[in-house]
Amino acid sequence: MGTTISLEQNAAAAKAAAENLTERFSDAGMTVEVIAHSAGKKFEFVRITCSPSQWRAVAKHLKHELGVNHCAMVTGTHYPEGSAERGWEVAYHMHRWPIQDVAAHTMTVHKGESLQGDDIPMEFEIFIPLEAGDSPSVPSVQDLWVGADWNEKETWDLVGIDFEGHENMHRVLNPHDSPTGFHPLQRQHKIRYHDFNEMYDDPQGFDRKPIDEGRVK
Amino acid sequence: MAEMWITMGPQHPMTHGLWTLRVKVDGETVTDTEAELGYIHRGVEKICESRDFTQITPYCDRLCYVSAMTWAHSYIMAAENLLEAEVPERAEYIRLMAAEVQRLASHLMWLGAFGPDIGNLTLMTWCLRDREMFLDLLQELGGSRMHYNYPRVGGVKRDIPIGWANRLKAKVKLFENRIKEYEMLLDESTIWLVRLQGVGYATAEDQIDAGVTGPNIRAAGVNVDARWTNPYSVYDQVDWEPAVEKPTSVKGADCYDRYRVRMEEMRQSCRMLLDAIEKIPGGANTHYQPGDEMLITKAPTRAPEGATGFSTYECTRGVSNFYLQGGGDGRGKNPYRVSIRSPMFITIPYVAKTMIGYKVADIPAIMGSFDPCIGETDR
Repeated sequence: MGTTISLEQNAAAAKAAAENLTERFSDAGMTVEVIAHSAGKKFEFVRITCSPSQWRAVAKHLKHELGVNHCAMVTGTHYPEGSAERGWEVAYHMHRWPIQDVAAHTMTVHKGESLQGDDIPMEFEIFIPLEAGDSPSVPSVQDLWVGADWNEKETWDLVGIDFEGHENMHRVLNPHDSPTGFHPLQRQHKIRYHDFNEMYDDPQGFDRKPIDEGRVK
Repeated sequence: MAEMWITMGPQHPMTHGLWTLRVKVDGETVTDTEAELGYIHRGVEKICESRDFTQITPYCDRLCYVSAMTWAHSYIMAAENLLEAEVPERAEYIRLMAAEVQRLASHLMWLGAFGPDIGNLTLMTWCLRDREMFLDLLQELGGSRMHYNYPRVGGVKRDIPIGWANRLKAKVKLFENRIKEYEMLLDESTIWLVRLQGVGYATAEDQIDAGVTGPNIRAAGVNVDARWTNPYSVYDQVDWEPAVEKPTSVKGADCYDRYRVRMEEMRQSCRMLLDAIEKIPGGANTHYQPGDEMLITKAPTRAPEGATGFSTYECTRGVSNFYLQGGGDGRGKNPYRVSIRSPMFITIPYVAKTMIGYKVADIPAIMGSFDPCIGETDR
């Protein structure tokens, strides 16, 4: 039978991490919650909602005090109909995994059941709401996790959220010569459809024009 | 000697897809590298915003043609978290078996593509021969050879056919012996050893910091695997151990370790499959009609604004994540935002940097040993 993490271990670790964060950032107006996934094994994770100005301090605390070693993904979202305080949002998803370098010819075989404290794997979800406007911006954590580097590049490329202090920012998925300010996952860009007549008249699509042609992108 | 930049790709046997590796060389030594991605960016995240939750599954299949089942499963888990859907245990077992068969097929495709990189063309033919056995099994489930569209929110599309269990057992047992043949072919080949050993070192801590996961990190001697660290499905009920390799140097795993760990992982998948087919609730040679409560439960089709779903899944190349936000078009029928974390998107820039200091001739060995897949990288 394979090793696994029990629900009790997971709940204890989530509670400990949330308490640690609440204690450290109690007077900063930041929300820390323990949330359970609503399907599957219903494991718990820690959700943090903080402002962009708090984010660097939170990130350093996560990395150095709580042992968060893996920046899994960065998601930017555009809410054109959102409130003034939440026109954009950046969500960081992080993991903590018990990973240490090993000496040559050895290996670390964790038994999930016997892991304790900060060795228990844990998910962290950090929401950073940003003010509505044309220039959303959040501090970069590129220097804390190497893994955040390309995730942030992708988020800037697709969503147009600026990461302050991110070095060597460039297009990664869009063509390198995309127009300045063109970020396709912003909500004003719509997917173009064409009907079947157009398919017969112009099967190669050479005559097809973007619906927003002529407008500044 | 003057340094110069060489462009490898977008069409190059080393790339295993469409991307460009720009290499700065000093004689034969690599002194700097730069990865350029995005050649097959299809905008899946944007397309998904105008599809409902069932319609998204085929797009997720097409993220990676080598391991479509695991990607669809990964998406479905996030959708179930968002929609709060329960899954019957028989469906979980079927999904587990489908994912493990897919893992075998994916690792065989990797080995088959890696062999010619190293100069062993025989391997390609052998691996594709065996991969076909497993694609046949998946075809019986999903109806198609590569893109199955098989998992559903709350269960699976249809039950395993009568006789599938026997065919699975026969094929897995045959394949367990075939693994020994592969090892005889490879581990005793001087070319294979000389080109892989001592090349492309990467330590566990460096890799996790850079976001590299999956078999690549287990090759560096740590048995961290999302199948037990973030448990899902019924991996806690079947018999298996995470595959992990003892690296031969303090510098971490080399290409040979990464090859060994995938061979071990295939063995573990076989073990898991043989155990799961015995334990499946409802019996292995029973066939339930599509829509039966043993296979699928009713799930909501709309998600309210503010609801989120997140999944962590051990894909064949590392940990994949899906993050969904509810409350999109059609009064919540579509997701508002779909975000996909592909393990290879993070790994490729990291691997490019690990090549610095090695020779140009080592580049295919290093790149191939990390198992790149560009479909999921560019999305």
